[in-house]
Amino acid sequence: MIVYRCEDTLESVFTAIYQAYEEKRNHDDTFLSLNDDPYFFAQDIAVRADETKTRKVMGTLRQRFGEEDSQRLCMALAAEDAEKAQAVYRTVVQGLRGRLRPGHLFDNLADRHVHRAFALARGVGTEAGHQKQFLRFQELDNGILYSRIGPKNDVMVFLMPHFADRLPIENFVIYDEKRNLFGIHPARKPWYLLRGEEADRPSGLRYSDTEILYQELFRQFCHTITIEDRRNRKLQTGMLPLRFREYMVEFN
Amino acid sequence: MEYRISNRDMPLEDKLNILTDAAKYDVACTSSGVDRKGDGKSIGNCVAAGICHSFSGDGRCISLLKILLTNECIFDCKYCRNRCSNDVPRATFTPEEICTLTMEFYRRNYIEGLFLSSGIIGSPTFTQELICRTVWLLRNRYRFNGYVHVKAIPGAAPEIIEQTGYLVDRMSVNLELPTAEGLKTLAPNKHRKSILTPMRQIQTGIQVNRNDLVLYRSAPKFVGGGQSTQMIIGATPESDYQIINVAESLYRKFDLKRVFYSAFVNVTGDKSLPALPGGPPLLREHRLYQADWLLRFYGFRAEELLDEKRPYFNVMLDPKEDWAVRHLERFPVEINRAPIEELLRVPGIGVKSAQRIVAARRSGSLTFPDLKKIGVVLKRALYFVTCSGRMMYPVKLQEDYIVRNLTSEKDRIQFGSDGMSYKQLSLFDDDRFSRPVTVIERQQAAVGQL
Repeated sequence: MIVYRCEDTLESVFTAIYQAYEEKRNHDDTFLSLNDDPYFFAQDIAVRADETKTRKVMGTLRQRFGEEDSQRLCMALAAEDAEKAQAVYRTVVQGLRGRLRPGHLFDNLADRHVHRAFALARGVGTEAGHQKQFLRFQELDNGILYSRIGPKNDVMVFLMPHFADRLPIENFVIYDEKRNLFGIHPARKPWYLLRGEEADRPSGLRYSDTEILYQELFRQFCHTITIEDRRNRKLQTGMLPLRFREYMVEFN
Repeated sequence: MEYRISNRDMPLEDKLNILTDAAKYDVACTSSGVDRKGDGKSIGNCVAAGICHSFSGDGRCISLLKILLTNECIFDCKYCRNRCSNDVPRATFTPEEICTLTMEFYRRNYIEGLFLSSGIIGSPTFTQELICRTVWLLRNRYRFNGYVHVKAIPGAAPEIIEQTGYLVDRMSVNLELPTAEGLKTLAPNKHRKSILTPMRQIQTGIQVNRNDLVLYRSAPKFVGGGQSTQMIIGATPESDYQIINVAESLYRKFDLKRVFYSAFVNVTGDKSLPALPGGPPLLREHRLYQADWLLRFYGFRAEELLDEKRPYFNVMLDPKEDWAVRHLERFPVEINRAPIEELLRVPGIGVKSAQRIVAARRSGSLTFPDLKKIGVVLKRALYFVTCSGRMMYPVKLQEDYIVRNLTSEKDRIQFGSDGMSYKQLSLFDDDRFSRPVTVIERQQAAVGQL
């Protein structure tokens, strides 16, 4: 029995998958683990993330399973879950064995691992969707749009392309306070991520002059648009979970 | 023709308040149907699925900045808050104000775009012109590339409707009331014909534009997100059967993307309108939406769901359950064999689950736990399906038995309990009889207190 010990990054997991194939392991008896929990009678192999191997795995996944399904595998790896590496690994193994046509990787939902990877990817997709809906930018006094989020999963990489496409001529920053991660988009330039230290947490931000005015206008708009005869709090919280309210200007 | 803006120096907050309040009874707030990438120079893109940015206290989504250009209306529709004989504060936006609001809200990710409707100011053509001018400004001066939904005003000149169509993503003409008679009594200034004419014009425009786009790829798009309409439910005495028949023919003959139903809220207190002591008919509206989905995505036809003899939807069961219990000869459906059209007719199986079932059963036969993983709602589906010839529990395929189980929470087969879980009703299967006798009770029994 072989256990590959990975870090909690996409590169590390993909490198481990590459190694498992390179070293011709018996895939039914090989595990990918993100922590140090001991396995009995197992041989541990520490994985060091490698960029070329990651790219090769990405290329193979894209070619064999199609753009959408390989994206889903990446999404599953962005989830906050201890078993995700194993689920993704087993899904890839099954997919490569089965000679599937592109777009059919997640067909066999009756399988435990495929379903797990599918459910994780769906969770991350939903969370990314929620953030695209509920994230709010605030204009700072230097004209930069700033947004603070606190997602359960690491969805920043799925948010940045959306907002960079939407607001290409704006300078904006999205800050993930749970992971201390910055997504930065300078106007008319490509976006990038920046992992901050503890001291980098933003504080003492100052709004621009008009920011408060527009926040107030929107708050008013949300209030006025409600039809009193149809008031339905349960429906509202079902569509907009309470945990997002902390980050939204109309509920402050 | 120029228009006079009364209260020109009214503060922006007050205007927004008045004109949001005036627009809130319009239902359509979707931003779907258009997939448009950003162009790198202007602000905005569109996502095909649409994005809701917030939810108001009534649970409806806030996707677009939904406002009227003006609520100074010359029409006198009895159900409408903005009717000219109603005494409400009036206001009018300037095009620049609308553009600034849209841009500033959009940058902050508050909204997905603009929904612009208007009271009739001057004449229908003039109103449409104003709307068109505002959207032109927003697109060309403010370089807004997001979603725009505007109303086509019935009775406006066709040229101006066409011009507007090239600037916006979706247009809608409100049908207001399902039948011509209803329209005549409640909206004396509107006519069935003047409503259907722009609808037909937009439909033809979209079809012609589609052909143009095949020939010239960079031809400008005409109403890329399609058109929609809305009907008020419960203000006039139409039956559900009439309403879904109207909806079906709108989908079929006018290629509409959506028909919206709006439970009537009595805001004017007019004497010709029904009083609604129990609040707006929300359940009825809900059933109509459910039926609407069945028409569009599940391959049902209107006459299958209702008919002359049963013109209203069942209050207890949703339309699909209702149809299923009346057609038990078509059930149970075998999950591992049935074609997707039959799976779609099973209550508890939606479009997504049906597709997943068809994909998953290629790799091996499916069982009930697998169905649960796939997302089938078993508490509804279990009466109607078999997996490899077996039902989940030994249930009777009888109409009243299934109806009883589907409707009452108490009688329903309990999930998670092991093995067979429905049993003959007995006096002694109450939980309280199965617990051991306590010491106190034994003492009470001994001294004759119990």
